[in-house]
Amino acid sequence: MNFVVLAVALPLLAGFLTPALGRSSRALAQWLGWGTLAVCIGVLWVAWARLDGGTVAIAIGGFRPPLGIVFYLDAVALLFGLAVPLMALLLWPREGTPQQFALTLVLTASATGLALSGDIFNLYVFYELTAAASFGLIAGRGTGAAQGAALRYLLLSAAGSVLLLAGITIVYLRTGTLNLAHLATLAPERLQDPVGLAAFALMLIGLGVKGELFPVNGWVPEVYGSVSGRLAGLLAGLVSKLAVLVVVRILVLIFPQPEAAQLMLVLGMLGIVAGELAAWRARDLRRQFAFSSIGQLGIVFVAFSVPGEAGIVAGLAVALHHLLVKPALFLLAERWGGSIEGLRGAGRGHWLASGLFILFALSLVGLPPLPGFWAKLLTVMGLMGLGTGLAWLGALTVMAATVVEAAYLFRTLSVLLAREAGYTSPGPHRGLDLVTASLAGLVLVGSVFALHPLGDGLKAMAAQAADVQGYIRTVLGDRAVARRGQREDRISEAHPASRGSDRPMGRADRAYGWPAGSPTRGARS
Amino acid sequence: MRNFTSLLFAGGLGFFLLVLAADLPVGAAPMVAGEGILGQGPEAVGAANLVTAVVLAYRGIDTLGELSILFAAAAGVGLILSGMRRRADQRPDPEGGFILLAAADLLFPLLVIVGLYIVLHGHLTPGGGFQGGVILAAAFFLPLLGRPGDSLNHAVVNWVEGLAGGAFVLIGLWALAVKGDFLAPMLGKGALGSLFSAGTLPLLYIAVGLKVGAEIAGLMSTLQETEAAEP
Amino acid sequence: MTLPPLEIVLYTGAVSLLIIGLAGLVMGDNLVRLVLALAVAEAGVNLLLVLSGFRQGAFAPILLEGRVPGPMVDPIPQALVLTAIVIGVGVQALALALVLRVRRAYGTVEMRTLRARLHEDLDAAAGLPPETSRNAPAVERPA
Repeated sequence: MNFVVLAVALPLLAGFLTPALGRSSRALAQWLGWGTLAVCIGVLWVAWARLDGGTVAIAIGGFRPPLGIVFYLDAVALLFGLAVPLMALLLWPREGTPQQFALTLVLTASATGLALSGDIFNLYVFYELTAAASFGLIAGRGTGAAQGAALRYLLLSAAGSVLLLAGITIVYLRTGTLNLAHLATLAPERLQDPVGLAAFALMLIGLGVKGELFPVNGWVPEVYGSVSGRLAGLLAGLVSKLAVLVVVRILVLIFPQPEAAQLMLVLGMLGIVAGELAAWRARDLRRQFAFSSIGQLGIVFVAFSVPGEAGIVAGLAVALHHLLVKPALFLLAERWGGSIEGLRGAGRGHWLASGLFILFALSLVGLPPLPGFWAKLLTVMGLMGLGTGLAWLGALTVMAATVVEAAYLFRTLSVLLAREAGYTSPGPHRGLDLVTASLAGLVLVGSVFALHPLGDGLKAMAAQAADVQGYIRTVLGDRAVARRGQREDRISEAHPASRGSDRPMGRADRAYGWPAGSPTRGARS
Repeated sequence: MRNFTSLLFAGGLGFFLLVLAADLPVGAAPMVAGEGILGQGPEAVGAANLVTAVVLAYRGIDTLGELSILFAAAAGVGLILSGMRRRADQRPDPEGGFILLAAADLLFPLLVIVGLYIVLHGHLTPGGGFQGGVILAAAFFLPLLGRPGDSLNHAVVNWVEGLAGGAFVLIGLWALAVKGDFLAPMLGKGALGSLFSAGTLPLLYIAVGLKVGAEIAGLMSTLQETEAAEP
Repeated sequence: MTLPPLEIVLYTGAVSLLIIGLAGLVMGDNLVRLVLALAVAEAGVNLLLVLSGFRQGAFAPILLEGRVPGPMVDPIPQALVLTAIVIGVGVQALALALVLRVRRAYGTVEMRTLRARLHEDLDAAAGLPPETSRNAPAVERPA
């Protein structure tokens, strides 16, 4: 399975060469990009077929984890990994310069890395790479507004990264390791205390910048309001979800204490309230979608804060639904951007676009039997299953958000389909945008008819993602699982002291009791 | 009011981090993974400088990501500033004085040699591709400080950064094809501590050095060619 | 009088730099100063990171003539901090380029003015009348 690394390495290789190639031929650079993305899709598809529901850890460079970096492949990682090159291909910046092609390729590689990596610092590197590539894409050849928005986003994002790195440092100071599976074995003893919680809070805020989490999402309306619909779709649909995925991995594996999930629940709730109210007040279509994206991501955070499998099922459902719907809506807003009042009657005559808009809006609100309904239902059920007061409050917030969403989306729809025509069209939707949006619409409608197999698939995926023991076993082998069991038994008496500093040098293998043979070699197919 | 809340936030965070100090084992690192690398690193990788072993072997893909960030930054800066190049009719900054010009000419070969030395000895002594690459970039940028009218050939910079970055990935892919592990150390390990040791690590560091040198020189030259005239 | 142990001095210094940088980031208004504050904060967190591998009395993790000179410090944070520094350089270069661009586009290097103008600009691009409640500064817009 080691060939999966190609999905990260090849886009980087192509990206490095693109600016130089683009100097002689822009078309060549473009075809190189398309070809690379197609190969990436193929690689991840073959990996998906071969994995067949199992899990595999890939030791990069052949170094035994926890010493080297591992990529961890399970169904969730591959599903999001597969979404990355697919969406990059669909939302490719066709009119761009070779530099924009290169940045899109780098963004693809880093987003795939975010989905696959199993090392906390490696995740930080990919997170920063995603950020660096997206700043260039947002500001590149854009308007003054795009550049101003990019700068404000950059400063916020860099401040968040400082906090993220501080959180990682605290984790490293406490445990001396960066591998997620190894951290999961050490966490019960060394990170389940206020200091560990503080580290989680720092990391949550840092990762929350891209995940559009409540206090650090000021950039969202500015950036999405000033860039092209394709780029907004890529950032809102894909990049935000991958940031959330990283948060979820960290939460599930390293910080299972209830306080961590509660913190995420509270911030998610505040995000829902802030986002949906702002979307209700918004006066232009793009920023309405941007604020609604904040609200939807809030629902994603709230859903994932439910511990165990139920939360992951709900979170995945909301995240995947939003990943499908929001880019398509941004593509439709490409022509219909601008003030909502100015769109009076714009939908008449463009029946395909209007139909798609109605479909996506209804699914976003959560009208049964569209998938958006089931996603929200799963979230509310999961929260109610918890039974705590805070969880009830979360469930009520999600339901109230639905009402607000319905209010503003129906208002927009009624304007769009109004009888009186006050709309001067800047031309019909571009064919390619409509095709892409229709594709998303078809998938959405198709999923209504495949609800049961989809639900079962999601459940299996969530069970796998929630299985901490399975993760540790895949990466470190069976003995590590046994040791975590012992640690959990004596957690009450253990004190997280600075172990290991007085140990003789060079005997790490025996001292730590790893099996002499590399467990990943055994797990490799 | 806004300043007050900001101050409160910063103060609170500071207090919080200082309180953490009591609970953190500063100065007595837990050394869990680190100890493992100190133990098996010299044998498994063959680099006398164990930090290099971590940078290029154990965490090689981090380094690839790091190179990509520099690349993305350079491409982004080029894209952002593409409309702000100094036009031919605009006068560049005045030329440097005698001391700057003479020093730039004098230092150029020395900086190139020092930079290459540091790149090539990255697996033996402190230093390596990043540090050496920055020195190389300084060597090529210093003359531009003296003669602001000149500029680097950006096509050459693009090709150097593209090929050096490509070489890094290709060495990794070569290992993937032969050994089955991306970026696994290849070639013989050699005698520990000699120049030709540690397998592909020096080759990787040469690629890193060239790429970092090209990126940083390109970045600084792009910024220098930008006309920050009154708006 | 006894001096505090070395680690406490180092740790306090690193955290202070981080706090100074973050305070500058949240309180500052001048864009160039914000970029500098970012650099200071990054320096602080990088110091913190490299400190996490520090051990009293240990050697640098480099073998001398193939021999282990004695207990060595953790090599991993040193590699990590190298990565973090390079990331910081890239982001700061992007930030400076954007500051240049923003100054050209909006004629300001002040965050609050930029924010107000940016929102006006977004409203105008969307064909909306400007909101009355915004505290738009009374400065002429450059042509």
